[in-house]
Amino acid sequence: MNRLRMSRLRTWFLAPAWAITLVLFLAPLGIVLVYSALTRGAYGGFSEPWTLESYTRLMDSLYLVILLRSFWIAAASTVGCLLLGFPLALFIARSGRRKNLYLSLVILPFWTSFLVRTYAWMFLLRDTGLINATLQKLGLIHDPLPLLYNDGAVIIGLVYSYLPFMVLPLYATLERLDKSLLEAAADLGARPWQAMWRVVVPLCAPGIRAGSVLVFIPCLGAYLTPDLLGGGKSVMVGNLIQNQFTSARDWPFGSALSLVLMGIVMALLFGLLRRDSEGGLL
Amino acid sequence: MKWLSIYAVCAYLFLHVPLLILSAFSFNSSRFTVWEGFSLRWYQSAFADKQLAEATLNSLIIAVVATLIATVAGSLCAYGLWKRNAPVLAGSLYLSLVTPEIVTGISLLALYQFLFRFLHFQLGMYTVILSHVAFSIAYVVIVVMARLRTVDGSLEEAALDLGANEWQAFRYVTLPAILPGVVSAALLAFTVSFDDYVITSLVAGVDSETLPMVIYAIARRGVNPMVNAISALIVFGLGALILISTRLKSGSAA
Amino acid sequence: MNRRTFLRSSLLRSSLLGSSALAGCAIDRRPRLNIFNWSDYISPDTIPRFEREFGCRVRYAIYESNEEMLARVMSGNSGWDVVFPTDYLVKPMLANALLAELHRPALPNLVNLDPAFQTPKWDPELRWSVPYMVTAAGIAYNRKLVPPPTAWADLWSPSLRGRITMLDDPFDVMGACLKKLGRSINSNDPADLKAAQREAIGQKPLLRAYLNAEVRDQLVSGDVLAAQMWNTTAQQAMAASPAIGFVYPREGYAVYPDCMVILRESKHQELAQQFLNFMLRPEIAAANAVAARTATTNLAARAHLPEEFRKNETLFPPAPILALGEWAETLDPGTQRLRDRLWTEIKSA
Repeated sequence: MNRLRMSRLRTWFLAPAWAITLVLFLAPLGIVLVYSALTRGAYGGFSEPWTLESYTRLMDSLYLVILLRSFWIAAASTVGCLLLGFPLALFIARSGRRKNLYLSLVILPFWTSFLVRTYAWMFLLRDTGLINATLQKLGLIHDPLPLLYNDGAVIIGLVYSYLPFMVLPLYATLERLDKSLLEAAADLGARPWQAMWRVVVPLCAPGIRAGSVLVFIPCLGAYLTPDLLGGGKSVMVGNLIQNQFTSARDWPFGSALSLVLMGIVMALLFGLLRRDSEGGLL
Repeated sequence: MKWLSIYAVCAYLFLHVPLLILSAFSFNSSRFTVWEGFSLRWYQSAFADKQLAEATLNSLIIAVVATLIATVAGSLCAYGLWKRNAPVLAGSLYLSLVTPEIVTGISLLALYQFLFRFLHFQLGMYTVILSHVAFSIAYVVIVVMARLRTVDGSLEEAALDLGANEWQAFRYVTLPAILPGVVSAALLAFTVSFDDYVITSLVAGVDSETLPMVIYAIARRGVNPMVNAISALIVFGLGALILISTRLKSGSAA
Repeated sequence: MNRRTFLRSSLLRSSLLGSSALAGCAIDRRPRLNIFNWSDYISPDTIPRFEREFGCRVRYAIYESNEEMLARVMSGNSGWDVVFPTDYLVKPMLANALLAELHRPALPNLVNLDPAFQTPKWDPELRWSVPYMVTAAGIAYNRKLVPPPTAWADLWSPSLRGRITMLDDPFDVMGACLKKLGRSINSNDPADLKAAQREAIGQKPLLRAYLNAEVRDQLVSGDVLAAQMWNTTAQQAMAASPAIGFVYPREGYAVYPDCMVILRESKHQELAQQFLNFMLRPEIAAANAVAARTATTNLAARAHLPEEFRKNETLFPPAPILALGEWAETLDPGTQRLRDRLWTEIKSA
């Protein structure tokens, strides 16, 4: 009896999401799939004949190098977010009545435009920016340090941009954490960091996974940050894709690139989830 | 806990100092990033800018509507997925998360382009709202799901055994337990919607320019203190709102 | 609807709605023209004057790159009426069925154009586009740099390591390298292009970054000493700060004529043509050129330009320098693809 009602209700619960996904995600993706199998038109766009040439073009060390670079930058940014975000989420979860305020303070900077946030870092990191000016005034350095337009600047910018994506899911799980578990661990003689590592971290693994995925993916596809903070000196796969759709006007190749990128990320995620007995994020 | 507090202070400094400096420079009388004296001229020009006001309104409307739709649909979906497997839907949501923004934007544009052949409508507010729902729903599902994982399913079973129907069990047992997750998810959806540039710029029409699009247009011409002024207004305006609302909440609780 | 009947009907309407100013405001049924142009590329008075004279409303918005504009209008149902692509985009836009054919009798002011722009290569009969203004890529520099640069080759000087930027645009960077080697910016010879790529890769360690308009205030502050830059952008920076100079490199440089086109999707074709014709009026073209600090294609407008503007050598270079300029052309698909690959290699080098 219950089973029956449950499944009917479930259908209705899933229906809106199904409709949105079908019309606004799967259908457009199908169109991209079709594009990827067409040929670039003489002046952009696409035309027949049907071909897999866009995919065979990808078998190239040039694109592999770009892909690996993107992975490294996205991974470094994710680790950065985790190191910064985990203690912060823990702090918020434990701050009692003030936690809503503290949570809001995390989100607040992210209501300004993404571009403004990136510009803020350009402001700080440039030769005549605050950091260099302060160091020079203190007499620690003579010539300004080249802080802007390198991978480090890109990673800082990405960490800064995506930190709430890490903090929010971490907070959601940490907030539910039973404090008595920590007390029990302490009673059993665990040092605070031991309790943290052995008890808290495993218990909020779903939050860590969710946060990491939410940060890693957009970092992997980022293209504005590498352009602005990296000075366009190195390409990430996002820049490569964006170039195909804009200056190169090669939609089929851009589509193929996008689909391959999505495929690789999916494969990675499934690899990650297979080890996860709970069945993963979703 | 003491170390944690110090760490948190540092993290908050990292989050806020860059924007505070940016805001400070909104009072610079020079157009360039060389301090030349105090001035309110950038605020004057920001307030005088009709396009900016309209874009802000557009952004708010789009973000609120898209967040409402995505949060309701996404939370229900997370709950549905928690009870039973729906691998195709879950997989599709995954896929929408791993889709680079530019691809989401281009594919949505391609969809609208295709639909325009049959339906006579134009790019506008609703194409932007639909696109925002499309990319924010997966965020909602993932955040609510992370919360649901920490919820004890047997509570709901107990409610069912005690005679509650399925809806009541959801409404009175599970929903209150996941509400903080739903709120986090809504905040996240609002943030990504309010902030999106890449996808919006592709699917926006003449009358649906959003704030990030206007800011991008201004900022691309170099560092313009008007952008600093706008961001300062947003940060401090929203900051004040949040402070007041938490005050009110704690006041009513006490 | 012609202008007179329009005025009458709008008068009637405003008297009907006159009782409530708010209602009159909310139901403004004057036709609306949606214009999408480059930033800082028009006089602030031009649009209000057009609105007054033709009894219409104008929605005016700006963009910063051809790609940005193209992405917005690509759907064919974007709502824009008039846009301003660079010459080499006219053919691709036409091929993608985005452009409306112009009605010559509606454009009597075309005679005002400089003869050099009456039969341009990209649209010899001006059937789809009307030339508007001309920009070019050269070198902007901070006057602290002594001696000032005179050639592209100066941007390869090791003493400027970390103080140089190039534009973040494949055509501009390849163009500068090709010119440095004494080749055409429009070259489709793979050997030329490969050689140009080697130049670009050799230059990369010296570069601070690839930047477009954002480089302006870094030039002013002296972070950057020399930058590849469009003359329009440089002019605007020079107006804001005396610290900046601009030079057309002696090896030659790329010239980019920008055009006005009407989109095929436009529901106000007639009004759009009137707008194009309005923009071709000498005094309007002159005001736009002065505000944008850019060279106009309108010969009749030159008489309306202020003396000091006409004498500005960045805008109106003397004949020998003018002769060094080369118009950008639409690349054939094979070359475009090769160049794109070479650019990706430069960027990931």
